Amino acid sequence: MNRASCIIGSGLKVGITMEYSRADMMIVTMARLLKDAENAFMGVASNLPFFAIWLAKKLYNPDLTWLNIPGGIDPSPSSPPRTTVHFELARAKKASITLAEIFDMSARGELDVAFLSGVQIDKYGNFNLSHIAEGNRIKIQFTGGAGSALVCPNTKRVILWRTRHDKRSFVEKCPVITASGNIYRVVTPIAVFKKENGILFLDSVHPYSSFQEVEENTGFPVSPATVTPAPTADEIKLLNQFDPEGIREIEFSG
Amino acid sequence: MNKVKTIEEAASLVSDGERLAIGGLLLQRIPSAFVRELARQGKKGLKVMKTAANYDFDLLSFAGCLEEIQAGFVSFEAEFGLAPNFRRSVEEGRVHFEENSCYTVISKLRAAAYGVPFMPIANLGESHIVDKFKTVNNPYGQGEVLVVPAIYPDWAVLHVQKADKKGNAVIYGPVYEDVIMARAASKIILTTEKIVSSEEISHEGDLAVIPGFKVAAVAEVPKGALPGACYPYYDYSSEQVKEYLSIKDNNALKSYLEEVRP
Repeated sequence: MNRASCIIGSGLKVGITMEYSRADMMIVTMARLLKDAENAFMGVASNLPFFAIWLAKKLYNPDLTWLNIPGGIDPSPSSPPRTTVHFELARAKKASITLAEIFDMSARGELDVAFLSGVQIDKYGNFNLSHIAEGNRIKIQFTGGAGSALVCPNTKRVILWRTRHDKRSFVEKCPVITASGNIYRVVTPIAVFKKENGILFLDSVHPYSSFQEVEENTGFPVSPATVTPAPTADEIKLLNQFDPEGIREIEFSG
Repeated sequence: MNKVKTIEEAASLVSDGERLAIGGLLLQRIPSAFVRELARQGKKGLKVMKTAANYDFDLLSFAGCLEEIQAGFVSFEAEFGLAPNFRRSVEEGRVHFEENSCYTVISKLRAAAYGVPFMPIANLGESHIVDKFKTVNNPYGQGEVLVVPAIYPDWAVLHVQKADKKGNAVIYGPVYEDVIMARAASKIILTTEKIVSSEEISHEGDLAVIPGFKVAAVAEVPKGALPGACYPYYDYSSEQVKEYLSIKDNNALKSYLEEVRP
């Protein structure tokens, strides 16, 4: 889906005055999950979590400690960067920490929330960023899991996010497990999953989607759930002011 | 002792088959010009390591310089996509990708830096990476602990903002794992935006994190991180990254390596 059709095709009216995109839907959903969080870590290639943490601090939880790879604690980026390791993420930081020390925080159990992602996510909330093998050789090499093998089992609440929701992404069982652990929610462009009793259950379906769309695009069984609350006018206004260029749509283009 | 060399001389210190820890992270303060020079000189069989890479490891894969990559993440981010030559090299069996978590790369380097044979690490859940490591009984408590072996880079290759002629160097902004690499490696090669006086380095106080005594060579390479960023001097260049990613064959790569030189 290209960027133009994403904004036009999935832009939706709220009441009679407001449009929002799938990126907006995911961002506000993730931001609201941070209302009671002490700290939140985002890593490489974490465009939507960047906006979620920024929005949460603006609207819901100003005391949330923002941790990121350039090591700026609670930065005040003046505009959204195209890479989430940009030194903009250290602008006006309140204190410094190195990436290695953030991993140590995770090892000590001090990380409250982390945002992670996978190419494949299975019904146990395990995910694969490693590869697809064929016999002894690697058939398809993915990016590697970055910090996720450590961060996933050692962070109190992990929010997985994926800008695709289809049967290739949401599988019954990952052939290779890059990371597993304390999955709190999985947020996609059409739904939210929750992990209970060791497996993922559908928690809510976004207002513009349907249970049928989710079921058709998920490779494991799902049951009907509630509707995800739509973005509010305040949330969208803040996002538009901070991101007039639509950097938050990058993951949805191409 | 004057360690100042040209970038060609500095790169010629690296022998085929050696292990290099390459500084910076993704497109941030990476020794790009030096990596291009390694490729231009036709190095072979190198083993490279860092937490998260893109341009450097993708280019070295493309140029056929690598035997092994140890890393947690190899990819450009959303703006540019995946690292095509890294992927192709691994899928075609030409480069061995020793998959790590960023944390295990750090832990292996820390063990070397701390002068100990292995490093106990935290639990990694059900990650397949666990199968790569051994466990020991916790001698001071209960249960088994995962341990990773020390990895000893022959070289730490770092791009820094300022260095003096003896290799004492300052890093501004995030250091990433550059300091851990400098401690773990046998020797260090620096490229720097500017060679400055010892007094100027001295004035930076605690920012002078690289002492010169393990530095074998310092090359002055302004814009040496491009197409990557070098805080606070310049941001990464989208055009130059896209120019690199548009190279599709070995002849075009050879031209690129000859043309894009300091």
